[in-house]
Amino acid sequence: MNNEIWVFVQVNGQIIEPTSLQLITKAREIAGERPVVALITETKTMNVETTVKEYGPDKIVTLKDAQFHNASDGEIADALDQVVSDLKPNSLLFPATVLGRSVAPRLQAKLKTGLTADCLDIYFDGDDLVQVKPTYGDDIMCEIICPDVRPQMATIRPNIFKAVKHSTDTEIINYSFAFHPEANIEVLSEIPVINSSANISEAKTVIALGRGANNEKVIEKAEKLAGKLGGMVGVSRPLTDNDEFSHENQIGQSGNTIAPDLLINFGISGAVQYAVGIENAKKVVSINTDAHAPIFGKSDYAFVGDADAFMSALLEQVR
Amino acid sequence: MKIVVCIKQVPNTDTVKIDPKTNNLVRSNVEGIINLFDRNAIEAALQLRQQAGGEVILLSMGPNSYISSLRDGLAMGADSAILLSSRKFGGADTLATAYVLSEAIKKIGNVDLILFGRQSVDADTGQVGPIVAEELQVPQVTFAESIELQDKNQLIGHRLLDNLVQEVKVHLPAVVTVRDEMNQPRYETPLNIQKSFEKEIIIWSENELAVDPAQIGQTGSPTVVKRIYSPEKAGRQTTTLPTDPHAAVTQLLEELNN
Ligand SMILES: Cc1cc2nc3c(=O)[nH]c(=O)nc-3n(C[C@H](O)[C@H](O)[C@H](O)COP(=O)(O)OP(=O)(O)OC[C@H]3O[C@@H](n4cnc5c(N)ncnc54)[C@H](O)[C@@H]3O)c2cc1C
Repeated sequence: MNNEIWVFVQVNGQIIEPTSLQLITKAREIAGERPVVALITETKTMNVETTVKEYGPDKIVTLKDAQFHNASDGEIADALDQVVSDLKPNSLLFPATVLGRSVAPRLQAKLKTGLTADCLDIYFDGDDLVQVKPTYGDDIMCEIICPDVRPQMATIRPNIFKAVKHSTDTEIINYSFAFHPEANIEVLSEIPVINSSANISEAKTVIALGRGANNEKVIEKAEKLAGKLGGMVGVSRPLTDNDEFSHENQIGQSGNTIAPDLLINFGISGAVQYAVGIENAKKVVSINTDAHAPIFGKSDYAFVGDADAFMSALLEQVR
Repeated sequence: MKIVVCIKQVPNTDTVKIDPKTNNLVRSNVEGIINLFDRNAIEAALQLRQQAGGEVILLSMGPNSYISSLRDGLAMGADSAILLSSRKFGGADTLATAYVLSEAIKKIGNVDLILFGRQSVDADTGQVGPIVAEELQVPQVTFAESIELQDKNQLIGHRLLDNLVQEVKVHLPAVVTVRDEMNQPRYETPLNIQKSFEKEIIIWSENELAVDPAQIGQTGSPTVVKRIYSPEKAGRQTTTLPTDPHAAVTQLLEELNN
């Protein structure tokens, strides 16, 4: 066993999933003397390492095989098992994306080690990687360790940490392994979801609508306002039932974590599952008819009153 | 078709509290219910049974109080229920839990499909399904939005990966974890509730299963909870805006520009 911290780099199509880069930066921050290693699975023609290198891992380990195009969770886990069992890292981090949360536990089962899902923070206490995750929704945090088995595995929620470029001498290792196709599964197709606009997690201004602002008139005004402010419209979970919104727009625990400079909440109560998604917003303004709505506790500015009335005034007065 | 649905009982509340003195979770007085997403998994199983025939078996690991949620699942229309209950199973993390579930699935025998909810609403790990898939060496479709039976042995599932929709074909047996978008769980009917009380809930302990004692309960769990706490958040200083919308917007815009 060595003392390295490994980060799995997720690649979607040709694009590096941003969380992977965020995790490289975070790993460097908490590493101390421990080397940070990026672990990449890619097809032979791809060159993800060139971009990953810019974020300054000490080492990059690449597994290349044409069959990584449309690989199944089981196939990816099998490939990772080969390199991890051989080189025995101390810790192994995954983005808590759908793919990360599907592959990591399969790998965990092969390695018979611990895995903590959806961490909000990690730090070292001696050799223990302390994994901090929320539980039972209600502002309860849990610190989990895996004292006796290595690697220590965790999936970490997207967009909690910032990716920062860093230049260093990075050693690149092309690891040779055998791709074992899984007989009983076939990935038939992967169709990119056309994201008409940018990702809400990267928007600078977010107009968020909840059940107290769920009518066509207000939604239309919100779209206009978002246009004027160069922002995007986000929603609490109940509004994803509307035709015009989807999971892409959802803010919160089972949706997106956002980090805008300005967030305006209309008719959102501020349930814990929503609130965890907005913790990184810089300025928060909330509009709610209920003076005791929990959302006000998470806000810099509070307007106790009607969503439509405030929205109309804002539309008029913003140029 | 033989379908096993793994379910978990969770507290029926968002407001589990921490005892400030002992730092333990206070769960008394909170009634247990079926994990929200697991109802979608039961619904998916019932729909497949309707289409292809067969049986739906509920499986859960936990204390005897879990019988109440198994009973609810039976009232939705499942055929039978098995509770894996033993002191020795206590304190299990995801690895040890999934191991015991896998051994139970092996004992049930000839299972075609194993369904899970996408994740639990309390611990929110979503990892028991994939571990079971690995233990049983079967393919998985996690976070599935839809599943369609092709024939007796094949299923096509769609899942939303981070920015793409993946279409996968699996040969059964397989593990599928179900997103709540897949369906609308049915309500329990009075008739089914009545019937559910006529069905026996089978209880298995380590004596009925071929489990390795080193892999169950706390002994088989690599992870340890070091600390549970309520974080003290640096709350925001909240400025209350005037009640007149126009005056409020004027003040807001002024302050934001500073
Ligand atoms: C496992 C799990 C995961 C979840 N994940 C998420 C998630 O990711 N994101 C999420 O959002 N939710 C999530 N939820 C649901 C969450 O618990 C809440 O139910 C949800 O956030 C409530 O949405 P809301 O605030 O829009 O609605 P409500 O709670 O119904 O609040 C509506 C608010 O509007 C106010 N209002 C009413 N009329 C007006 C008016 N005319 N003008 C102004 N205000 C008005 C009311 O006072 C109220 O405060 C999750 C739940 C679970 C169990």
